[in-house]
Amino acid sequence: MSSIDLGIGSTATFIHLIPEIFLGLLGFAILWTGVRNIGERAISWITFSGLGIAALLVFFLDPSSGSAYSGVMVFNNFGKYFAIIMLISSMFICYPFSTKNYSKSEIFYSTLLFLNVGMVVAAFSYNLIALFIAFESVSIGTYVLSSFGKTRRNLEASIKYFFTGTIATAFILFGASFYYLGTGTFSISSSALSHVINSPEITIALAFLIIGFGFKLALFPFHQWALDTYDGTENSVSAFLAAGSKILAFMVILKVFLSGFAFDHTAVFYLFVILSIITMTYGNISALSQSNLKRILSYSSIAQAGYLVLVLAVVAGSGSPTSTVSEFAIAAGMFYSLVYIFMKGGAFITMNAVPKDNVELEDVSGLGKRSPATAVSLSVIMLALAGIPLTGGFLAKYYLFLALIEGSLWWLAVIAILNSAISVFYYFRVITYMFARDPKEGDGAVPFSAKAPVVAAAIITIALFFIGIIASFMPTLISAAGGIFG
Amino acid sequence: MALVLIYSFVRFSSGYTGGFISRVSYSLAPSIGINFSTGVSGFTDALLILSVIVIFISTLIAEKKELDRVMFSYILTTESGLIGVLISRDFLFFYIFWEVVLIPVYFMIAQFGSFRKESVGLKFFVYTHIGSVFLLLSIFAVYTYHFDQTGVLTFQIGSLMTNSTFSYMPVFWRDFTIFGFLFAFLVKMPVFPLHSWLPDSYESAPYPATVILSGGLSLMGGLGLFGILLPVTQSLGTFVLSFLIALGIISLVYFALAAMMQSSLKRMMALASAASMGFVVLAFGAGGLETGYEKTLELSGGMFQIVAHGLIMAFVFSALYFIKRSTGKENIHEMGGIFRETPFLASFLLAGLLASLGLPGMAGFIGEFSVLVGSFQAIGWVILLVIFGMILTASYHIWAAQRSLYGPYNENLGRIRDSGTYQTVVLGASLVVILILGIFPNLLFGLLTAYTGGL
Repeated sequence: MSSIDLGIGSTATFIHLIPEIFLGLLGFAILWTGVRNIGERAISWITFSGLGIAALLVFFLDPSSGSAYSGVMVFNNFGKYFAIIMLISSMFICYPFSTKNYSKSEIFYSTLLFLNVGMVVAAFSYNLIALFIAFESVSIGTYVLSSFGKTRRNLEASIKYFFTGTIATAFILFGASFYYLGTGTFSISSSALSHVINSPEITIALAFLIIGFGFKLALFPFHQWALDTYDGTENSVSAFLAAGSKILAFMVILKVFLSGFAFDHTAVFYLFVILSIITMTYGNISALSQSNLKRILSYSSIAQAGYLVLVLAVVAGSGSPTSTVSEFAIAAGMFYSLVYIFMKGGAFITMNAVPKDNVELEDVSGLGKRSPATAVSLSVIMLALAGIPLTGGFLAKYYLFLALIEGSLWWLAVIAILNSAISVFYYFRVITYMFARDPKEGDGAVPFSAKAPVVAAAIITIALFFIGIIASFMPTLISAAGGIFG
Repeated sequence: MALVLIYSFVRFSSGYTGGFISRVSYSLAPSIGINFSTGVSGFTDALLILSVIVIFISTLIAEKKELDRVMFSYILTTESGLIGVLISRDFLFFYIFWEVVLIPVYFMIAQFGSFRKESVGLKFFVYTHIGSVFLLLSIFAVYTYHFDQTGVLTFQIGSLMTNSTFSYMPVFWRDFTIFGFLFAFLVKMPVFPLHSWLPDSYESAPYPATVILSGGLSLMGGLGLFGILLPVTQSLGTFVLSFLIALGIISLVYFALAAMMQSSLKRMMALASAASMGFVVLAFGAGGLETGYEKTLELSGGMFQIVAHGLIMAFVFSALYFIKRSTGKENIHEMGGIFRETPFLASFLLAGLLASLGLPGMAGFIGEFSVLVGSFQAIGWVILLVIFGMILTASYHIWAAQRSLYGPYNENLGRIRDSGTYQTVVLGASLVVILILGIFPNLLFGLLTAYTGGL
């Protein structure tokens, strides 16, 4: 492979773009299979394994080469980690045992592959323009995906998502231009920004960017779309929206606000302290009164987003972004993301066990008798979301709260941990319905296609607990965390 | 289970002088201080023996006819959690096991509970979980400041819980930590203002779970005080210790008064169980303020009380279970004079009640007596309040026995079956253990005194 020098000071080679190119070509190949009519099962197998191969390709990228293409892309372990996580979360949407029949399924799967190109690019880019384009390509892909399905509900969900999403896009663009005005560059790599002083433009950029990106992460005031969209779309798509798309937004927020605003962390600190507190409190308290299972999960994913952005509060509050505390906090966020995609993806996929659109809590009553494997797996996932030991969710919260205490933010830790205790109520309500109640008349056993991914997610969630403790996994993440600053 | 018993006899039969023996330690992620390490002290060994006995009794009264097979898996999961808590010498694993115990107990209540099982189970879980999360925050705080002080990242209980670490911490963080630890442990006990989960859970839970709750879970609170916090009593300060003494006495009197008002025997014994844990808190508080011989007596008495209380409660609840099974009743008013029909069961229950009120010759007396004698140095004439509580305790126990077991027979019950061989063997064996500990307390007391002295 010949190395192509595409920019001044670039050390990376063309080889670093192979995962993206592979995914793009595969997307076109899938489109072509539509002409040959080879069947949905085969297409989903190809997509599934293609995403797996792409994850492997990313894994074997050489992270030592540093920045490329005039600093637009930076290939480091931080980006690699998130790229792999997001590719895995996309695999949820196209697991091959699905019995869903989409009309024009090749469009569905090729859209999925195309938006994954955007995800991988976003994982490595350190330039607001490139980041914006990658982010937008993912958004547009998800607008298409969420409209797939047979009913008007799907369409309604997609339209709501699309219109509000477009407004968020405008905010990001506006924020990016103010950012350029204030700093004189689109680069968010902190090394390029050391000389910038604080100015009104920066404050405006901060406000606009948080609205734009916070929208995708469904932080509190910008969350309203998430409820309707998660509820209305098809289960595997909402699994992807709640898992992969959210982790993408989280990663982008980490990069933009920690690296890009490294010169002014005070504002970032207050912003994210307030956002995280109201987001998690709102999500948890609203979930308490819901009886629609998918809405409970939607509110819980809002609350989880609140936990995730605690990382920014710790790093921004610690004063020095490269201290041990900051790196530990970022690593905690990375571990949380990994566990999160399995918890949330698994939880939404489980809704497939109920063959209807509007899944109420009553619909899972007696699941423990009808299908013990599904019920136990869903319980494991619920325990993980609540942060109970022997699941990866516990360890994720454990590291996160440890980071908060190390950052001396005890009051934030108390608020977060009380929230976590409140959340036990509604997670356990689901478990209670499954085990303490009898099944309704006419509910049959759960088909294998609905069972397999949940069981897999539950097993992985438990496995992550042991991985997180036993292997030197956390130290590896800590060493990768420094890469966030480009 | 038998393994634990044999093991503890072998290791502790001779020459135990305090401290921890038989450490096993695996370094898992040394760079962030995660180890899996275990160790057993004289105190935790006593609790290990208690927990296996309690779990054993609980399996004996869990009958397949009424409960699903899954009950046994819950019971065994609880046991592994309990043993894990008792042998962990590393805070991370200590916390993990601490939480693991809750889950099967929650399921036992939520699936097999008798009334409002879902909400009662949830109340139990959330209440104790909130306690646990404060424990977690406290652990983090100690961990962080220990690292600040020594530059060593470790979750070892032995290295973290030292007076030097605590005195290094800023005042706010020290108070925060102490609050977190105490909150978690006192919820489990439970003491007076933190008890509202207890009567519902004990009453609603199926009998095997009640036995575990009273014998196993209250043990965890005691373990927290005497196993975790004992080395740092100096750092707690006089105020906190006096506060604990006050809480202990208030619980004792308050729960005794509340128990007197109950019409359900099961609920009454639940409150009685909480009342006798008041002695444990009292012993810890007073022991921290004392010196010399009284300190040893006080602390050992408190620990002995934990063991005795677990045994007695397991015994009382299993006797109650058998009575419930033959009469179908557990309300005092609905029973009446059942001694005529079931002399064996009624006598066993009476023995349990007497043991619970602290009759000399039974295990309960030793703990209460030594706490009482020991406390005088620390609290002076306030001890009259404790004695008042003991009188109340005795009176409502006797009163309940008189109304339910003796007097004219309640003919509505019809003919009922007395205990069969199975019941007699189960109850008799438990009673023998209680009597042995009451007559030869030194079997256990020596071990506990050595632990106190070894610190």
